[in-house]
Amino acid sequence: MPMMTGEQYRASLRDGRRCYIDGELIEDPGEHPMLRTAVASVAGTYDRFYDPAPDAFHPMYTIPRSREDMDRRVKALGQSDITAGTTAACMALVDVAPELGKLRPEYRDRIYAFFDWCKDTDVRCSEAITDAKGHRRKRPLQQDDPDAYVRVVDRQSDGIVIRGAKLHITGAPLVHEQVVLPTKSMKPGEEDYAVACSVPTNAEGLHIVNTTNAPRGEDVRHFPISSRTNMPEGLLVFDDVFVPNERVFLDGETSHAASLAHALGLWERSNAVAYSGSSADRLVGLASLLAEMNGAADRTDIRDRLSELAIYATMCRAGWEAAMANAKTNEDGTLSPASLYVSASKFYNAELHGRMVDILHDIAGALLVEAPTMADHDSAEIGPDVREHLLGEGGWTAAERLKLLHYVRDLTADTYGGWIAVTESLAGGGQYAQRLVTLRHYDLASAKELARKAVGL
Amino acid sequence: MITGDAYRESLGDGRAVWLEGRRVPDVTADPLLAKSVAWVASTYDRYEGVTNPMFRVPMTRDELRDQMDFLVGADRTATTTAGCFALTTLSPELRSLADEIVGRDARMAAAVDDTAKPVEAQARADGGVELSGGKQHVLGAAVVHELLVLAGDVACAVPVAAEGVRILAHSPAPRAGDDRHFPVSRSSTISEGLVVFDGVAVPAERVFRGADAFRDTLKLWERARAVAEQADRAELIMGLAQVISEMNGITAVPHVRDKLSAIAVYAKMCRAGWDAALGNAQEGPGGMVCPDDAYLCATKSYGSQLYSDMTHYLHDVAGGAVVTAPTIADLEHPVVGDQLRKYMRTMSEVQGEDRTRIFHVIRDLFADTFGGWDKVTNQVVDGGMHAQRMATLDAFDLEPARRRAREAAGIT
Repeated sequence: MPMMTGEQYRASLRDGRRCYIDGELIEDPGEHPMLRTAVASVAGTYDRFYDPAPDAFHPMYTIPRSREDMDRRVKALGQSDITAGTTAACMALVDVAPELGKLRPEYRDRIYAFFDWCKDTDVRCSEAITDAKGHRRKRPLQQDDPDAYVRVVDRQSDGIVIRGAKLHITGAPLVHEQVVLPTKSMKPGEEDYAVACSVPTNAEGLHIVNTTNAPRGEDVRHFPISSRTNMPEGLLVFDDVFVPNERVFLDGETSHAASLAHALGLWERSNAVAYSGSSADRLVGLASLLAEMNGAADRTDIRDRLSELAIYATMCRAGWEAAMANAKTNEDGTLSPASLYVSASKFYNAELHGRMVDILHDIAGALLVEAPTMADHDSAEIGPDVREHLLGEGGWTAAERLKLLHYVRDLTADTYGGWIAVTESLAGGGQYAQRLVTLRHYDLASAKELARKAVGL
Repeated sequence: MITGDAYRESLGDGRAVWLEGRRVPDVTADPLLAKSVAWVASTYDRYEGVTNPMFRVPMTRDELRDQMDFLVGADRTATTTAGCFALTTLSPELRSLADEIVGRDARMAAAVDDTAKPVEAQARADGGVELSGGKQHVLGAAVVHELLVLAGDVACAVPVAAEGVRILAHSPAPRAGDDRHFPVSRSSTISEGLVVFDGVAVPAERVFRGADAFRDTLKLWERARAVAEQADRAELIMGLAQVISEMNGITAVPHVRDKLSAIAVYAKMCRAGWDAALGNAQEGPGGMVCPDDAYLCATKSYGSQLYSDMTHYLHDVAGGAVVTAPTIADLEHPVVGDQLRKYMRTMSEVQGEDRTRIFHVIRDLFADTFGGWDKVTNQVVDGGMHAQRMATLDAFDLEPARRRAREAAGIT
């Protein structure tokens, strides 16, 4: 099948899906004021990569076999909306296909068939991983509510019926398939919870309740990032949803529940780490511009803070370079970044992100969160006041200052900035999980041997 | 003392206010500014018929502590007004203005920070001055009655509705039509303003000398409020982290306890710094008792340096629902409401709606518009973290420390 255009993508969303926001059922995501820019950004990606050739496909469906493949994929995802990233992560299912194939050959076949179907029909997928979880220290069967983790409540000859909820699902109302995976490892006795499958967004019994980091207001020019790149997060309620066998990738094999979660977790973290260098470079650039704008670029204390940012950015980039330099290939030839460096970098990025943002805020000053809007600037009545009173150092015009201040506020000190701070820290597992994964993959034996030799033991 | 409704009525004085490029004919009717008005009006209603504590200048440590407790619990214009009142101890000339303000039960805001075009006061033949220029970061400008404008060594009291005053307001209040999932900012935001003075005439009786000393006292008062609020906010972070950890069932998890303990240390040190500032309060000019500035500077610096780490820990123990929890309207939906309550609950003792409301508070205060405004404005008090450290160094009594070092090294 040929790829979809943006318009075809928009039409594909009008499929009877039951999505909600602010307590209301959404008739058409593409027309809803809080979702339409997100739909437009996905449609924009479709148009940007559209190729009418019958066998064309988006690069996110390229299974990376080499560093060059990975670089192309990273570049393509960088030019795409975030649902391309979640779809690409879902395609990491093929990472574990060989392993699952040893368990039951049909799992491997279904995964590759699903991959081919997604690629051929040019659809988008979400990573539906995080369960409601109930009491965090209790196993699924110990919970007051047995539905705290998504589970199989019925098995039929042609499929299974699932019940439960998945939280924090980025782009859920705007994709076509919700790829459901176990949130963690399962133990014998928890077979009903060891389930992986894919569910169409318009499946009977699936309800998606959304929040969004999109700005509210008629004039959103003072939200230069979030007015263009916002994305909803869905809470998925599976109210006895039937899943046909061909879309079931795991059902009851507790020994392999964690493999799926880990495979996607690695790609989710990798997506974050791959772009952390350029994100951090942007912080350095913004801080530098703020310093110039305020006539403070030559101050010793400011240069000291800029050097902190520069080290942060360089280390973020180094983490991804090391992850790729130490990448591994599975038996089907799929290349994966090194978990050790991905987890260590993810932890480092998130742990210091707040302090780096502090530097920007310190250099910017209070005007960052109190600046007049672009509408103020353009007003016939008070525009002249704005242009006069906000004139910057070194030839900075008021309009330039406002653009810079609104950009930094939107990125670091408003709704979108809050979303970034929380999700960058928690996506792919929280900080403690990153530390555990890092320690698990670290070569402790070699380190101990080094120490033994050094001490002379 | 007037009522909240009388306060609302007093704002219909023809003040020239703009918000996002449009003229606001009535600040009480604008969806964003009305939230500031409502907050101020609530303080008016609380003190109807009795003198508001903000009009009392503290002359003892106990009075100072009472005053600060009141200011942290009141709307922010109470602090700006109290700060202006503190100046009466520096300049007896201000007494008549203060009496007038009390008589009208009015609110004041200090206009200290200049824009790119600083405010200049040109002397007039009648002994008054004419003000031209701009001030920024004027807290509450659109919803108070009087501005105390510092221009060089001159301070002027200017009615907000005076001819030639234009206010470009900004508000961190929530914009959602249904703002119930913004539990703090829907009722506790105050707008800021960039104020333009376009040839504003100020009569002689409203012009005062000695503005340099005024500036220091106003800054001290603002610093004191920030440090007092920082202690409260740190304890709120502690409380939220503990409650959401309990609701998530993770209080016994070692890494969670580690984070909770870090927040506990932070909260205690912020409180200790504020208590020390109050405990070592000293009598200033005119007999007013002021918090100890060395402790204020050190505590403000300490609180700012670690604030992002603490909110990071809070986000970490709370989880992603900080930014993805459903709204109250979602919970009320006839189709999905029950399902949402089911999946937001974690155990029999925890109701889904209660947990959702905790997430709303955390997001509103630490991961959304108001949280961003609150964090930045508190961080940059006194010029930001570097300036706060330098102020701490300046306020530190170095001589005893040097003497101790010399003695330790045996240097006479």
